[in-house]
Amino acid sequence: MNKIKTLFDAISIIDDGNILALGGNVLHRSPAVATMEIIRQGKKKLHIVKTAGAFDVDILCGAMSAHIVSAGFISYETEYGLCDFYRKGVQGGTIEAKEHACYTVITALRASVYGVPFLPVRGLVGSDLIEARGFKWCKDPYSEEELIAVQAIKPDVAIIHVQEADELGNARITGPVYEDVLMAKASRKVIITAEKIVPTSTFTDSDCKAQIPGFLVDSVVHLPNGAAPGSCSSFYDIDRKALDAFKMCKTKEDIMIFIENAEKGRL
Amino acid sequence: MNSITYNEADMMCVSIARRIYDGNKVFHGVASPIPMVSIGLAKKLHAKNLVYVNITGGVDVTPTHYEKSTDHPVLFDKTASIFTLIDIFDLSARGELDIAFLSGVQISETGEINASVIGEYDKPKVRLPGGAGSAVLVPSVKNAYIWRAKHDKRTFVKECDFVTTKGNITYVFTPKCIFEVDDKGLKLHRIFKNSSLEDIIEHTGFEVRYDSIVFEDEPTQEELNILHEIDSENIRSIEF
Repeated sequence: MNKIKTLFDAISIIDDGNILALGGNVLHRSPAVATMEIIRQGKKKLHIVKTAGAFDVDILCGAMSAHIVSAGFISYETEYGLCDFYRKGVQGGTIEAKEHACYTVITALRASVYGVPFLPVRGLVGSDLIEARGFKWCKDPYSEEELIAVQAIKPDVAIIHVQEADELGNARITGPVYEDVLMAKASRKVIITAEKIVPTSTFTDSDCKAQIPGFLVDSVVHLPNGAAPGSCSSFYDIDRKALDAFKMCKTKEDIMIFIENAEKGRL
Repeated sequence: MNSITYNEADMMCVSIARRIYDGNKVFHGVASPIPMVSIGLAKKLHAKNLVYVNITGGVDVTPTHYEKSTDHPVLFDKTASIFTLIDIFDLSARGELDIAFLSGVQISETGEINASVIGEYDKPKVRLPGGAGSAVLVPSVKNAYIWRAKHDKRTFVKECDFVTTKGNITYVFTPKCIFEVDDKGLKLHRIFKNSSLEDIIEHTGFEVRYDSIVFEDEPTQEELNILHEIDSENIRSIEF
């Protein structure tokens, strides 16, 4: 089945209030252009799941599309500093920060993959996050050791930007994979945005196989520069000019203008 | 006379590198320029068999150059195998990761780290990026190495507003000194020669404990040469 769709059609399956997992890590291979389409379509109350987010999470917070953020780290790293829309949203009470350790996001996604309601995790002991975030303890029925039980997170939709995909949804990530394959398996629906659409024979007739099988994928969007202004390994690096422009944005109106300009730049 | 010139970033990198040992399995995460360069330095100097893992999944990569992002694909490009962040957390959980580098905005007298919020968790005055992996790594890794490119009373506090993590902290590196951590918490271990006991006391928000006054050796010419060679673009200084 041909799963190629327009970006508009692919993103339109996301409903207000959905749990949305975003692939990539900080400014690298994140589905940045897809997040801009989410904003353009006026999606609201989204619950964003990611281990470490930056531009993608920040812009969704700034445009009021995100309401809850479950993540271990939200920042642009050292060069670009804090995510101001996220930070101000949490400080102002419009965004709920469900702080995780990155590993508890991974564990929550694993629980979803394994089809179990929770999984124990080693760590978190001594952290105020246990009480602040309502993590619960469980007891190993064999040894009676007490461990933190991480509740499963089953995203409604995962958006993953990849280097190559075919029209059946088989998707190949070259370079760092991050948690994206786990995310694809944990989610109800998967949207792939891809730098290149390749014939299926690219995978069948070589040793370079896709890591995400097409049967898990709902739609494939051909989206060159889909991770910009972040990087996409072997295609492009961080677009510092565009990021500087985004960091100047103060309001949702500024963000809409930024998105418009980004759109023009890509055409 | 010693005429070697170096700055605070150089001193931090050299002192950290000296405490990474041959054969160690070592991890740094996001926003970690100083640890990234320190690991590269240790590998070139005395720890040729250290195993360097990072978020990109690259294993033991000697990058062509460093980028400001410490999660950049340049840390993956020359890898022979793939060991993802998931694998790294699992490695730590089963007690096999030797050193993990982590940081925070507040570091307390008792060795607690805050990377979450200033103020209350639910109504924060400042929402910080979050501890990334620290809440699980600090209690599970063999040695958590904490670093912070600031040494002042807002960073080194009597008590943290919020405890993101605590646990197996071995050292805390600052631009002025190295603390070690014992049962009671932070204890002065080495003073850098660009600082002094008085300077450290003045800029620390709790009573500084120490057994004796020991200065860390200044960087050698060899250490600095390699530092400048591997990090010619001076990425290590962007934390200052």
